[in-house]
Amino acid sequence: MAVDLDTKDQPPPEEQALQAWERDLEHIGIMGRLMAGRKWHGADWWFVAIAIVMVAGFIFVALFPGLIAPFNPREQVGPRLLAPGETPDQDVLILRVGEPAASLVDFAGDERIPTGVVRGAPASEAVRDQADRITEELNGGGDERRVRLRVARFETLDEVLDALVVGDVALAAASSLEFEAVADRYPDLFVAGPVDSDQGGGQSFLMGTNQLGQDVFSRVIWGTRIALIIGFSASLFSLALGVPLGLLAGFAGGKLDRVLTMIMDSLYAFPGLILAIAIAAVLGPSIFNIIMAIAVLYIPTYYRIVRGQTLSTKEGLFVEAARSLGAKVRVILTRYIFPNVVPSVAIIFSVNIADAILTGAGLSFLGLGLPPTTPDWGIDISRGAPLMNQAWWIITFPGIAVMLLVLAFTLLGEGLMEIFNPKLRDR
Amino acid sequence: MKRSLTVFTLLLAFALVAAACSSSDEDATTTTGAAASSTTQADTPTTAAAATTTTAADTSSGETTLIIGTTDAISSLDGSDAYAVHDWELLKNVGEGLLRWEPGSGDKLVAGSAEDFGAFSDDGLSYTIKLKSGQLFGDGTPLTASGYAAQINDRLLVLEGSGGVGPALGQPYLTSVEAVDDLTIKFNLSDTWGFFEQLLAGAPYIPLNPTQFPAGADAALVEFPEAPIYGNGPWYIDSYFLGETTVLKPNPKYQGSLTPQVDQVIIRYFDKPEGMRDALLDGSIDVAWRILGPDILAELQDAGFNVETVAGGAIRYFIVNHTRAPSDDPNVYKAIASLIDRDDISDRVFAGFVEPLYSPVPVGFLGATEVFDDLYGSPDIPAAQALLEASGYTADSPLQLEVAYPPEHYGGTVADSMQVISEQLEASGAIEVTLVAQEWSEYIGAVIGGVDYSVSLLGWFYDYPDPDNYLTPFVANGGLGTMITDPDTGAGISAAAQALADKIAEAAANGDQAIRKTLYEEAQAMYAELVVTLPLWFEAEHIVYGDNVAGSDAFGSLEQLNIGATIEYNYATNSKG
Amino acid sequence: MHPLLLTFMIFGIPALIGLLYVFVRGTPSLRRYIVTRVALTIPMVLILASLVFLVLRIIPGDPVTSSLGPKGSPEVKEQMRANLGLNDPIIVQYLSFLGDVVTLDFGDAMTSGQRPVVDELGEKFPATIELIVPAALVALTIGVLFGTFAAVRRKRASDYGFRLFSVVIYSMPVFWLGLLLILVFGVWLGWAPTGGRIDAVINTTLERTTNMLTVDSLISLNWAAFWSALHHLVLPTLTLGLILSGVFLRLTRINVVETNEEDYIAAARARGIKERTVTYKHALKNAMIPVVTLIGLQVAILLGGAVLTETVFNWPGMGRYLVERIGLRDFTAVQSTIVMFAVFVALISLAVDILYSLLDPRVRY
Repeated sequence: MAVDLDTKDQPPPEEQALQAWERDLEHIGIMGRLMAGRKWHGADWWFVAIAIVMVAGFIFVALFPGLIAPFNPREQVGPRLLAPGETPDQDVLILRVGEPAASLVDFAGDERIPTGVVRGAPASEAVRDQADRITEELNGGGDERRVRLRVARFETLDEVLDALVVGDVALAAASSLEFEAVADRYPDLFVAGPVDSDQGGGQSFLMGTNQLGQDVFSRVIWGTRIALIIGFSASLFSLALGVPLGLLAGFAGGKLDRVLTMIMDSLYAFPGLILAIAIAAVLGPSIFNIIMAIAVLYIPTYYRIVRGQTLSTKEGLFVEAARSLGAKVRVILTRYIFPNVVPSVAIIFSVNIADAILTGAGLSFLGLGLPPTTPDWGIDISRGAPLMNQAWWIITFPGIAVMLLVLAFTLLGEGLMEIFNPKLRDR
Repeated sequence: MKRSLTVFTLLLAFALVAAACSSSDEDATTTTGAAASSTTQADTPTTAAAATTTTAADTSSGETTLIIGTTDAISSLDGSDAYAVHDWELLKNVGEGLLRWEPGSGDKLVAGSAEDFGAFSDDGLSYTIKLKSGQLFGDGTPLTASGYAAQINDRLLVLEGSGGVGPALGQPYLTSVEAVDDLTIKFNLSDTWGFFEQLLAGAPYIPLNPTQFPAGADAALVEFPEAPIYGNGPWYIDSYFLGETTVLKPNPKYQGSLTPQVDQVIIRYFDKPEGMRDALLDGSIDVAWRILGPDILAELQDAGFNVETVAGGAIRYFIVNHTRAPSDDPNVYKAIASLIDRDDISDRVFAGFVEPLYSPVPVGFLGATEVFDDLYGSPDIPAAQALLEASGYTADSPLQLEVAYPPEHYGGTVADSMQVISEQLEASGAIEVTLVAQEWSEYIGAVIGGVDYSVSLLGWFYDYPDPDNYLTPFVANGGLGTMITDPDTGAGISAAAQALADKIAEAAANGDQAIRKTLYEEAQAMYAELVVTLPLWFEAEHIVYGDNVAGSDAFGSLEQLNIGATIEYNYATNSKG
Repeated sequence: MHPLLLTFMIFGIPALIGLLYVFVRGTPSLRRYIVTRVALTIPMVLILASLVFLVLRIIPGDPVTSSLGPKGSPEVKEQMRANLGLNDPIIVQYLSFLGDVVTLDFGDAMTSGQRPVVDELGEKFPATIELIVPAALVALTIGVLFGTFAAVRRKRASDYGFRLFSVVIYSMPVFWLGLLLILVFGVWLGWAPTGGRIDAVINTTLERTTNMLTVDSLISLNWAAFWSALHHLVLPTLTLGLILSGVFLRLTRINVVETNEEDYIAAARARGIKERTVTYKHALKNAMIPVVTLIGLQVAILLGGAVLTETVFNWPGMGRYLVERIGLRDFTAVQSTIVMFAVFVALISLAVDILYSLLDPRVRY
């Protein structure tokens, strides 16, 4: 894929047949060609343009997640497993008619109060949070008493209410809508007032909440940062190691070249994810180790391409000429080899980032990557998989995010390849 | 080109036919996997292949099969070594112990392959029990007292493998076993153990078939014997493929009362609980057993399946290192004990599917109390703040606390629970928590070593249902990292620690259950005062099944799937239809 | 007969015969190439194996403690360590490891009962093969077909449509696609089973020889088993195959486009040969050359994707086994598995390189 960008020399003979404006293009340089390429490349140009916009957008999100994400991704902001756009029910305190107790405050004392809730219902948290707040108020005003609950969890609302009626529990908490539906069967019970969890109530979330009550949208936003950090860093490391090695091997040749190539070929042929898994498991869960593990995988790619470019350019006539004129190695490198290498490396870099993000997601899906409390897309998908049937939104949005980010970089690489590859030009 | 293609195809066909010929030669019934009879292939060394299946046998209509899904895996099928829940379950279905648990009872011991309960000697140092006569293993080998004695003496008390049950449940309690006559067995105990009969009902003491698990001079562990595997219990293992399936069929020679109600039991192994859930939903399995997560349980319940809570289960707790700063400071560990909000963990992380645990000994065991709640009444933030301030930790100079945990070993909810706990600790305003996640293999060694961590998460599943098994391991000999006694000498690091160790030893060696109850109540109080470990929650086991599975007439109500006290699932108690 | 051996034979014998045929009928330079190439495979595998050994030995963490947990006595652990040779100096361990690799002695798994790794691999490796071969076929079919369509309709809407499809599908994480397919086709529509290799009851009637269930059921003419195995293969194969088809699509398209520009194609068109013949008979055939090489490279991606697919679909293959063993720090099993992977990849790339050298006479070492 050697691209001759050395436009200062004479254009090769076959170009003579081109139209005038195309010939002018040859003299403008890379940037000019890209811009004018709109007419030339048609939809491919648009691919690249859209890709650049997407990438820029993601980078912006990664740099300033706090601006876009409405909540702290590690904080509980609502009841668990809330669907996108759904507003949670109001929970209420339910007591027996005719008892002296009329609200939670009346239960303050030393003993734990048996409380009935439906297993897994948000009402359990709500009533406990309410009790804690009342305790704080009392203690702040000098009252030593506490409101402490002993939570008894039942399978259905009916069981809870039956237990309340017979006195197995002293109070109950449930969703007001659910209670209203069955209230006429329980004339002895009444709603004593609302109970609210610490997060307040009534708020809906754009992408819903996950199993810990965290905002999925915020986690998706913050996950961008992790994904891009991994993607960029791993690719940079690969590049920093692979390109010089490739240049060295291509330029120096001989035994060094053969040995290096053999090692690189072995590495290249090996299933990347598996090697990454092994390395990541060995080094332990930390973001740096993941980056290192992924970086190792792509060194051979850079090495191969750069070495190939260097080899073919080295054989080129104009390099021979330059050398015979006594040009220094450094000059040859920078003037002849680099310009041929740069476009290929740019393309690989872009595709590399895409692949690194995918591999990183795979690693964290397997649980081998980051600390499990990190807001990362792979981790979220893995934690959300058991809940897929009931809470589809937990895996869907992170998955779409991965796809879009990887797509952006891949389109970028694809588009660049179409633009830089002369063989694909229409005649 | 075309000709080459023809040649190629012919060669491929030839290879296939050759393979087919070789396989049809070994078409006999359940033999080993050796391909000795083929003529076209070279002589290959016969490795111990996992198992063969039966021939394309008669799964004609009329044969009922119960399919059970699990996320466990087989680690060892040798009773002298196996120490995992699933292994014990299989052992208890393939064999029948001298004593065993009555299915569905939760805590009722009955005689199994023994005629009746045995008797302790007057000094309490031996236990004599008599086998039922005429018992045979499934392949016809007779079950004798001398064979059993050899099994215990030569294998359980001597051999050590990767499971390691011998050193844990054999050697500390027995010195030897004698065969008094053809059917009578005498156990010589190392002390007057009050819970020996419960111990005897465990999997290590189940009779093993001497032809497959040799004793005597040839004694060696056989963790993966070749199928079929015959015991003296209601089933035999017809075939097994690790990580895929295990197939059990009724044992033709079984004489006991646990009669199989189905013709075949297939256990299907799953990697993840959601795979198991999906299989239950589409009908590929009938029962889902160990381990489903809380949300999956709720989902299946809504979908109309029967979700039963089962006696027994695992506890989760923090190991508190009493020889390492800052957890060696009583103010610190009492403050931590005062900050944990167990209900919060249960609701937020487990959808209400775990129960707060207020004592090292769970509810339902002899002498269990709720001493941690009585003493600390957590969450009690003001009390915790006072304790922390007494040691100089305030909002301006907070306590730097590292809390360690294994992210993978206990399932996906662990990380969530650790996050919630760190929020609770930080709610005091005077603690800054750093969560340290570490891979299990390094983690467990580091925890037990008692040097690297101050506070670390661990789980425990009992070996025998007795409070001793919940106390001694955390107190004696370094206590799995609590360091409350010296790992080498066993001496307590303080007078209070020594008193606790003495109290527990006293309770273990006492035969009178009423006295033991009082002793254990006192021990728990001392334990809580020292916060040897910080009990967090108790995870019950759940079993999920459709309406086509039922109990059996012989065992209680049809609605209940009779799971015994020690969590092993007696497959014989279920029918399908 | 050991299933591993059988599997290798089924693929290996025809390959070997093909190789011999090529060798005998080929030119001297081709023969030289083949010999050199085959000889190169061994150092490749050894280098990889050594890398693996090195990486695994740096680990902190100890397989013995990992498996015993809090329930093993220190004496037992010491004994186990000695048995496994963990106390020997590193050089000794390395040399004995190399010796094992050469003699293909895979040893016993360090944990879960010291079962011979060969047996475990014998069960898992064919399972993975059974997954990736159909997946590769699916990927090839979709990729080549759509790629050719796209190339022929170059610069038109459908071309961009196909290209977009290929890029989008490749950008999806394979485990995510798997989960979605399970949700839609397994749970909601119920058209395919959601995991496992075969129905549990039917499984008891199946006799396993190669441990590739489709093959075994064909051999024993057990049609119920065959259909069940096939049915269970649908979703995992589709998942893996779809993702990879993107790559093949792109590559085929580019190569067909390039070939289309070649002079001899223009000449063929000028001679009045039908467009379809031109495309499929001439252009495609030559465009396939780089595609064939790419298959070799894609094996690596296939195996990587297989790990994730096996996890999602509860497929008892090598990928899942490897992840499990790494978590247990089971050196022996991990080493052996990776060496197995390396050997497999080396053999495939050997085959591909030789095939390529056959098709493209310009290539010689």
